[in-house]
Amino acid sequence: MTRPVLLSALLLAGIAATATGGGSAAWAQSNGGARALAPGVKVEVAPAPGSGSAPAAGKVDETALRYYARIGDGERMEAEIARLRALDPGWEPPKDLFAPQPTATGVDETPFWTLMSAGKVAEARAAIAEQRRKSPSWQPSDKLLQELELAESAGRIRSASDTKRWQEVVDAAAAQPEAVACNRLDNAWRLAEAYAELKQTDRAFDTYKTIVTTCPKAKERRDTIFKASRHLSPERLRELSALGATANPATGEDYSAVRSAEAELETGRLLERLGNAKPGALSAADLSRVQGIVRDKQDADGAIALGWYFQKQKNFAEAQSWFTQANEWAPSDKAAEGLVLAYNGLGNKAQARAAAAPWKGKSSRIDQALKAVDPPRGPSGPGGGRTAPQGPSELDRALARHDFAECLSIIRGTIARSGPTAALLQQRGWCLLELKRPSEAEAAFAEAQTLAAREPAKGGASAPGKAGSRGPAASGLPQTATPAQENAYGQAIARLATGDVTGLTRDLPRANLTATQRAEIRASLMATEAGRALEDKRYNDVLRLLDARKELEPEPRNLGIVRGWALYNLMRFDEAYVQFKSIDDRLSTEESREGVSTAWKTIYHDW
Amino acid sequence: MAVMQMYRTAGRTALWAALAAATLLTSGCAGWVRDNLTQSATPWRRIQPAALPVTLPDSRDFPIVAARMRDTGTVYKTYNVALGNPTSLAGENRLTVDVQTLPDSLFGALVQPPRVFPVPLYTMETLTVTTRREFPDMKVKVADGARRNRYGDYDYATAQDAVNSCVLAWQLITDHKRMLPERIEAVRLEYRVCGVGSDIRALLAPFDGLTLTLPETILEAQDLGGL
Repeated sequence: MTRPVLLSALLLAGIAATATGGGSAAWAQSNGGARALAPGVKVEVAPAPGSGSAPAAGKVDETALRYYARIGDGERMEAEIARLRALDPGWEPPKDLFAPQPTATGVDETPFWTLMSAGKVAEARAAIAEQRRKSPSWQPSDKLLQELELAESAGRIRSASDTKRWQEVVDAAAAQPEAVACNRLDNAWRLAEAYAELKQTDRAFDTYKTIVTTCPKAKERRDTIFKASRHLSPERLRELSALGATANPATGEDYSAVRSAEAELETGRLLERLGNAKPGALSAADLSRVQGIVRDKQDADGAIALGWYFQKQKNFAEAQSWFTQANEWAPSDKAAEGLVLAYNGLGNKAQARAAAAPWKGKSSRIDQALKAVDPPRGPSGPGGGRTAPQGPSELDRALARHDFAECLSIIRGTIARSGPTAALLQQRGWCLLELKRPSEAEAAFAEAQTLAAREPAKGGASAPGKAGSRGPAASGLPQTATPAQENAYGQAIARLATGDVTGLTRDLPRANLTATQRAEIRASLMATEAGRALEDKRYNDVLRLLDARKELEPEPRNLGIVRGWALYNLMRFDEAYVQFKSIDDRLSTEESREGVSTAWKTIYHDW
Repeated sequence: MAVMQMYRTAGRTALWAALAAATLLTSGCAGWVRDNLTQSATPWRRIQPAALPVTLPDSRDFPIVAARMRDTGTVYKTYNVALGNPTSLAGENRLTVDVQTLPDSLFGALVQPPRVFPVPLYTMETLTVTTRREFPDMKVKVADGARRNRYGDYDYATAQDAVNSCVLAWQLITDHKRMLPERIEAVRLEYRVCGVGSDIRALLAPFDGLTLTLPETILEAQDLGGL
């Protein structure tokens, strides 16, 4: 894997900023350029190794340059050359750069730099002490000592921040301002977060503001805005984005992504509001804006959110159009579910069934949606079961609107009038599940099961899926669940929702389920267990469970993120980075960005 | 160096043996793994209502639907009682009981799991978040004054819409002088119930009338001054 080199890039960009942006000069100067990130805390651009204090004219410190040459780090070497040229325009790189150079004191500092580069600061200190014991007259270079102190300060900031000792983060940054700089951006972020956690929002804002106006890299300014979004109001984020997109531009940097960061956050907020909004809760302008963005990005999830927004308003035509769009961009059972219910709302049952066809029997979501199209109850008898298509009943319409409270009311009324049926109780179970009342749902399914046993058998006594079978994907056989299997499945889903993982795992082999249902429950159990294993820091177990789960179902993005953190904590940083990056490339979210950023910084010791 | 010289004789052999053992253990050769499980919550497991450490007065509207429990480390036991919900609102009616015991070993005292409930139980900020989550689209009001049940004062908030009412009540019992036995550090109770109508007292009646039935007797608060 090709690893980008952050330090050199930052240094080059820092030089560019010095050369082009007068306003950023204070930040980018290597000497005397201290600048307050927040009251009491100053930041400086940390100079590259070997730069030390300002060299006399005509004499620059080439220690770091020679070090980079010796270890063959071409990119850092180029950056260092650029930096030294910026310090002394008349300076030229030495021709013997690659020739072995005896140091003045006869002690080669390379091992110490190497240890420090690997993040082994304590080991570097110990090695220096040991060297001094061997050569009492030798003194480590000022630059080396300075870098060690900086690394130790950064470690203190990181440790205090990781353990949420926010005041200590601020104190550590105040004690060593150089540890909070553009080339140690993570420390600056942690400082801003500490201010925010200490409820010093103005200082947090000032810190973020200093970063986005002085650090030259567009990507870093953009990341800063995402980081700040956790702590700042939308108004302040807007201000931050505007500043980040315009202040102290560096040559060759494209800041359009900085401006769009705020828009992306705004889109996220709008989509979230869309999900929770009551009909008409979004202004026409907001709605039009989010529709435009979803179309531009061909965002299937956004289109589904819009579909549900219109479906709740009973604007079935508009809902159908968005669900269709989502299904075209990225076919999924979620999009198809909306489409089925939207067509049903329009009274177009044939289209609804056609939309469901590719997923029928494979997705419980679709099987449920089909119940709104062909309700499992009817005038033909109290036993429930699938009946011939009929006009939408009150209950159908409630289900099509996803109005599960109404579903409960209607079922309660029907039972009061004409007594319970297994199908009604089962439907009540599904509605209770939707209302996040799993304990009652489980009881409803159990009651339905009992009642079904007393009713005439429907749907035949098809054999349940055998334990250990690998599901319909492997068998290739379509499976239709009997009412008894649907009840057992409902109970299993309810038990999952109540967290009864152990009991469900124990009972699953004996449960009367189709192979598809069994596979789905097993996959959910493994996902839950993987999450628990992650909490318990059993990272190999996380991977073992996720790998096994992947054999049953494709891995959703939230479990992909879990996989990434398991890899990260097993110190398989490159794999973790690839995992997070592949998720982030498909749809960038706060979680995926956090994973990419953390893995990247760990790989390149860029804390 | 001075330290190393101290181990030149018999002690040195012991040190190397210990080091070798430690290396073996930490390398996994002796089957050692990090034990985090003792500090994290176990999965929920179902229990019979009779096994709950709490007895609720009989209620037609709020019967016990299910009961479950889990442990966190060796010091916390959490019981969750799902209650019936006569409304069409989302969310389970429930009573949660957290029992915090004192560790029974020196190691247990040194390595304790993080608290399973915060103290203070709520701030205005966290209460706002919780009531918004529990009772979306309802008008929420935090009661000005506390109420009292058998175990002393508790606070509560109410939520109402046109048809239904809900309550969220919370209580922390830490009185070691009278109520709690020696090995119980604290008991936290949280009660969330929605019902049809607007009778808040009826909703709070099960919480007012509950009795804690832990193995060691928890005494009721007395001299409540006008309860």
